[in-house]
Amino acid sequence: MMLVVGISGIRLLTKNWLETGFLALLPVTEQQPEIARAIAQHNDQLNRKVIWLTGATSSQTAIVQARQLKQQLQQSGLFSTLLLELPQQQYSKQYQQLFPYRYQLLDAQTQLTLDKNPQELLSQNLETLYSPMGQMTAADLEHDPLLIFSRYFNAQHPLKLSLEQGIVMLHDADKFWALLLTDLTDQHLQLDKLETLLALVNKTTTNVQEAGGELMVTGMPIFTAYGADSAKQEISTVGVGSSLGVIVLLLLTFRSLRPLLLSSLAIGCGLLAAWVVSILVFGKIHIITLVFGASLIGVADDYALHFVCDSFGAKNWRPREGLKYIFPGLLIGLLTNLLSYAGLVFSPFPGLQEVALFSAIGLLVAWLTVVLLFPLLLTGFKPDHAPVILKLTHYWQQHWPVWLLKNKRWLIPVLLVFLAGGLWQVKPRDDVRLLQSAPTALLAITDKIKQLLPVSQENQFFLVSGHDQREWYLNEQQLLRRLNALTQQHKLTQYRGLGDYWPDEQSQQQNYQRLDTALYQSGLLKHYMTELGFSKQAINSELAQFSAAKNRTLSLPEWLATADEEKQQLWLGCDASRCLSRVTLIGITDLPALSDLQNLQGVTWVDQVEQLSSLFARYRLSISVLLIAAYLLVYGGLGLKFGWRNALMITAVPVLAALVALAMLGWCNQLFSLFNLFALLLVLGIGVDDAIFFFMADHSTDDATTEDRRASTSLAVTLSALTTLLAFGLLAASSTEIVHAFGFTVAAGILTALVFSPLVGYKAQNSQI
Amino acid sequence: MTDFIKFLLLFILSLNQSHAAAVLDSITARLVKTPITQGNFQQEKRLKILRKPLLSTGLFTYHQSKGVIWKTLTPIPSLLLVNDTRLMTGQDEQAVPAAFGKVFKAMLGGDLKVLSEGFDISGTNQKTTWQLQLKPKDELLKKIISTLLLSGDNELRHLELQETGGNLTYINFVNITHPDHLSPEQQADFEHLSP
Repeated sequence: MMLVVGISGIRLLTKNWLETGFLALLPVTEQQPEIARAIAQHNDQLNRKVIWLTGATSSQTAIVQARQLKQQLQQSGLFSTLLLELPQQQYSKQYQQLFPYRYQLLDAQTQLTLDKNPQELLSQNLETLYSPMGQMTAADLEHDPLLIFSRYFNAQHPLKLSLEQGIVMLHDADKFWALLLTDLTDQHLQLDKLETLLALVNKTTTNVQEAGGELMVTGMPIFTAYGADSAKQEISTVGVGSSLGVIVLLLLTFRSLRPLLLSSLAIGCGLLAAWVVSILVFGKIHIITLVFGASLIGVADDYALHFVCDSFGAKNWRPREGLKYIFPGLLIGLLTNLLSYAGLVFSPFPGLQEVALFSAIGLLVAWLTVVLLFPLLLTGFKPDHAPVILKLTHYWQQHWPVWLLKNKRWLIPVLLVFLAGGLWQVKPRDDVRLLQSAPTALLAITDKIKQLLPVSQENQFFLVSGHDQREWYLNEQQLLRRLNALTQQHKLTQYRGLGDYWPDEQSQQQNYQRLDTALYQSGLLKHYMTELGFSKQAINSELAQFSAAKNRTLSLPEWLATADEEKQQLWLGCDASRCLSRVTLIGITDLPALSDLQNLQGVTWVDQVEQLSSLFARYRLSISVLLIAAYLLVYGGLGLKFGWRNALMITAVPVLAALVALAMLGWCNQLFSLFNLFALLLVLGIGVDDAIFFFMADHSTDDATTEDRRASTSLAVTLSALTTLLAFGLLAASSTEIVHAFGFTVAAGILTALVFSPLVGYKAQNSQI
Repeated sequence: MTDFIKFLLLFILSLNQSHAAAVLDSITARLVKTPITQGNFQQEKRLKILRKPLLSTGLFTYHQSKGVIWKTLTPIPSLLLVNDTRLMTGQDEQAVPAAFGKVFKAMLGGDLKVLSEGFDISGTNQKTTWQLQLKPKDELLKKIISTLLLSGDNELRHLELQETGGNLTYINFVNITHPDHLSPEQQADFEHLSP
């Protein structure tokens, strides 16, 4: 059977099987493909941009350093574009292409001035012309006596950047900074490329520092690179630490490699089968499924250990007989675990359904491996030593319950107060940003760059739609007007929407009419030009050009062809039913004020951070309910089998473990989110197993004495707890908050289960004697 | 004979560099150095396309650290504020090369050291007057300005800006004084420039 699974596994590997987009986690009814497309486009831009600033005490030095930096980056081959000198040629080309449409392309401010007071426009022109600084504009006067195209062109490039040698130069209190903008070739960088990027950042930083300057770098890829780097380091430390721990522990206990290899075999088979079946069923599995599903399959470790540890429980232990004894325990353990995942299947969230199937298949296959293969593979396995740890656990399981029961008078109130106090302090936090751990230095640099240079797009953006281009245009205009008001209230630094650059065909005609009525028909233009000293010839030429331009229109595709890539990507196109565009935002200071605008017609507010956080919150609530249901189901199942009193006793172990883990979260002010609940599900699985095996040890009917069974069970429980702690509890050392929280919860829960499980069956045993 | 003149010219040209520096130093030494300079200006702009010059007059204030206030009074009242990094008009903040604002301020302040960073300077220093000719080094600036001519005595008196496109700007500075303090009005104007 594993052969079949293996072969289909190899075939699946060639498929694109891993899903990472968060939208796939939404219930199917809430997934909107056009939003997903817009988000993909938005992220594609963000995920490729890296911003570099070289700083020095003089602008000359900063420029020299930036040039050297550019060369170094170019050699790395990581970047598709490196923008240091602003492309003047591109601007002048765009200027020439759009110039014939100057009477149609009016910026919003000019439209307003023309409607309100056309004379004002002329006065502003005079101001500019009389200014000692008006050289650049005055040069345009010959072709554009009204300077209307200068206005439009300047409005298109609203940032007031200072240029030196064509390079954007920023400055703070003590330094000049030269700006270098780069785009990565590939938005999905492979791990090794991310390492190259990080190494490049470090190397160039040192280079610039050695030359006496300073380098600041930021951008999504840098965050990703740092995240991947720290995750890799953590996983390798935690991974090496836990593997070493587990190996040493099992070798010391059994003085044989077999138990270690066999538990790895069981878990390995489980994982492989789970992976193959999930992909066959769902087509693709989400990375979250993989992570948590794999964690939950860790329960399978229990089965293997219980089997192997049983070898200490009987004098002439043979695997087949051992199985006969532990089989009921294993079966009930499996059924309770499967039962606890059953609830997840009924949730509307695809992520949870996947986790449920993944874990169930994994557990089932691991269990089958233990039950079917272990009797064969353990043939001849009979440790003839009494490991120290067995003596320890034996002593512990004998005396620990006694002590607990003796002191229950004060222990119970203390426990209750501890639980109540801790639970009271548990506060859920679902912020998705906790997923990311960034070094504080990088955050500080990013903040500083944001202050110096408000060009970094925010995560949030608007999606504007309309049934046709006209309706889309009007909807976007409405949004842009509101955004303009917000920028004036300093709630937003800047925004980019197509409608600010390209008036639609109808508006172009209106603009022409505007100019015609306000300046040309009224004679204001003639007067203005005469006063300034234009020749009669020049005036007539201007009038002729104006009337010749009357029926010109510039279509959106024509305009887009002249625009830079960033503006081109704002447009998402039209299909049979609607037209779509993005409006991007820079420098948000008042988020609620912006999200309020989603009430406008055809406007959708896309806040990935918020959406994902609220998705996490919904998953958390949904899993909380399912977790409670799982505990109840387990209780019900055990009740039918062992009677309600016994079931209560057995279920009490994982319930207490879960409560203590939650209370610990509260007391230690730890993160409580969706991820802790998966940890609690793991705690349920292991806690129930522990309790059941202790219970079964007291109800054994074969020749081994109850006391020996309890000893071997306590060993299995301890080993399983220790291996779980090593595998998952060590994650508590992670600097990423959710990983840390997961590890912390598992550790607290498993330890508590370990502490309370010997109580199960203890009284029964006393009464039997 | 012609060879001799050639030789002489070469000699002068090779000396030009150090000679220019010496001239700069001696002119700098002549200029009145105070933190604040103010006075009236008369500006004449000759644009190729226009048949008559654009004449304007007004007040200017130079402050060593704060920048320049350029207040045009006739024919259209307007206000221009400039410092090393920003340039503001009554309409809005304008996109200009930083070099522009810096140069404008350095010109009015007679800060020849800053000017020599961005320009190739040559000049003469005579008994009563001095003259400087500045040509921009920056490629972007070169496209706009071909030459700046500055002249004066212990003050900067006259400025001529020749644009690459053939337009010309003359500015005369008169009634120059060096008060110890800014007037409240001047102070308020500079407030706009501080971010």
